[in-house]
Amino acid sequence: MKARRYGILVAVLLVSFLLLTVQTRGGGGTGRAGELVAIAVTPLQSLLVRIHRGALGIWSIYVEWKAVRRENEVLRVDNEQLRVQAMQASETREENARLRRLLLLRDRLPLATLAGEVIGREAGGWVRSLTVNRGRGDGIAQQTPVIVPDGLVGRVVQVHRGAAVVQLLNDPASTVGAVVQRTRTAGLVEGDAGGAVRFKFMARDGASVSPGDLVVTSGLGTLFPKGLPVGRVIRIEDKGSALFHFAVLAPAVDFSRVEEVLLVTGQTTQDVAGLFRSDG
Amino acid sequence: MLRLMLLLVTVGGSVLQSTVVAVAGVAGVAPDVPLILTVLIALRYGSESGCLAGFVAGLMQDAAGGGLVGVQALTKGLAGFGMGLLVGRFWVSNPLVQVPGLVMLSIAEGLGRFLLLQMFHYPAAFGDLMLHVILPQALYNGLIGTFCILAEAGFEAMRRRAWN
Repeated sequence: MKARRYGILVAVLLVSFLLLTVQTRGGGGTGRAGELVAIAVTPLQSLLVRIHRGALGIWSIYVEWKAVRRENEVLRVDNEQLRVQAMQASETREENARLRRLLLLRDRLPLATLAGEVIGREAGGWVRSLTVNRGRGDGIAQQTPVIVPDGLVGRVVQVHRGAAVVQLLNDPASTVGAVVQRTRTAGLVEGDAGGAVRFKFMARDGASVSPGDLVVTSGLGTLFPKGLPVGRVIRIEDKGSALFHFAVLAPAVDFSRVEEVLLVTGQTTQDVAGLFRSDG
Repeated sequence: MLRLMLLLVTVGGSVLQSTVVAVAGVAGVAPDVPLILTVLIALRYGSESGCLAGFVAGLMQDAAGGGLVGVQALTKGLAGFGMGLLVGRFWVSNPLVQVPGLVMLSIAEGLGRFLLLQMFHYPAAFGDLMLHVILPQALYNGLIGTFCILAEAGFEAMRRRAWN
């Protein structure tokens, strides 16, 4: 055991010295002995260089991959930030446009109004309403009409100190007196559980209402000013022998997108239909 | 099987030395991974394996480095043999002895290599070589060796826990 151990040591020493000797004999490795070593070692060197190059290639790919990954992460974060900024800018631009339209309407209307912001929504089907950030403290009372530049949104049904709940036109309990603008046919606009808005109780005779007709508030009673756009007729439901016509309306206002409103606190007898957008 | 594995470890260490380690040098100093592996093999499998592993690793380093073939083969072979002889003596199974032992052996291997190269008129001054190459490399070896020894101890503990 011991002899074998030292035998290995002696062999290692001998081979090493032999290698060194043959390399240095004959003038710095240029002699025959050196060539012999070179012949023996060159394949090993080539193999090592090949492995070395391969490993270096893998290493450099790994290093590049790490750099690309880091760059990718940085770019991703930048991208996210830019996207958020773009969204914020777009949001601000849209809000600006909405407020500008609201302001223009407010200036045009011969009515006292108060701007409010939507702070809550209820659209479960049982009740369809909005909550705005104006309440008793701002002089808002029940039944206050709520409008946007496109038309009528609904009316205030609950007033709190700093907020008010607005019943939307398509709420099942909502009823608004209205007329077809072109024919002056009177009826009632009501919401239903499905979220549609119907124009009901039009007299059959002489109604001549057709799809596309604009329905506006009638102004009968003192609740809603006359001429607030309610919606456009999209379909007539003729019940045959019934006394009345029914029409399905496309609301003038997209209730899901309402974010700022005007609460109408004043009164007027003037028809305000011409002050709203003609396509509403 | 064991010999094949030792050969693979030795060859792998040499390839690692000429590739990854060459890039991972700090202030121009790179650890001598084949020497560390030689020491670890010698500590675990004795002087014969240590000597042969050191010889093969040194030979490959000589061949890859383009210098005199046989210098590192001899010094590393001797280092492996010497470390293997210490197993069972001087508490070399204790990491607190292994790491300083690795540093000392690295210095001894550097000195041995320098002395051997003197026979072939190696031009560098001993002081410079000691200050800029042998000592920093020995310390670096100690650092890497610490990690290797701790990793090996952790692996052993895990294996033992898995068996129990």
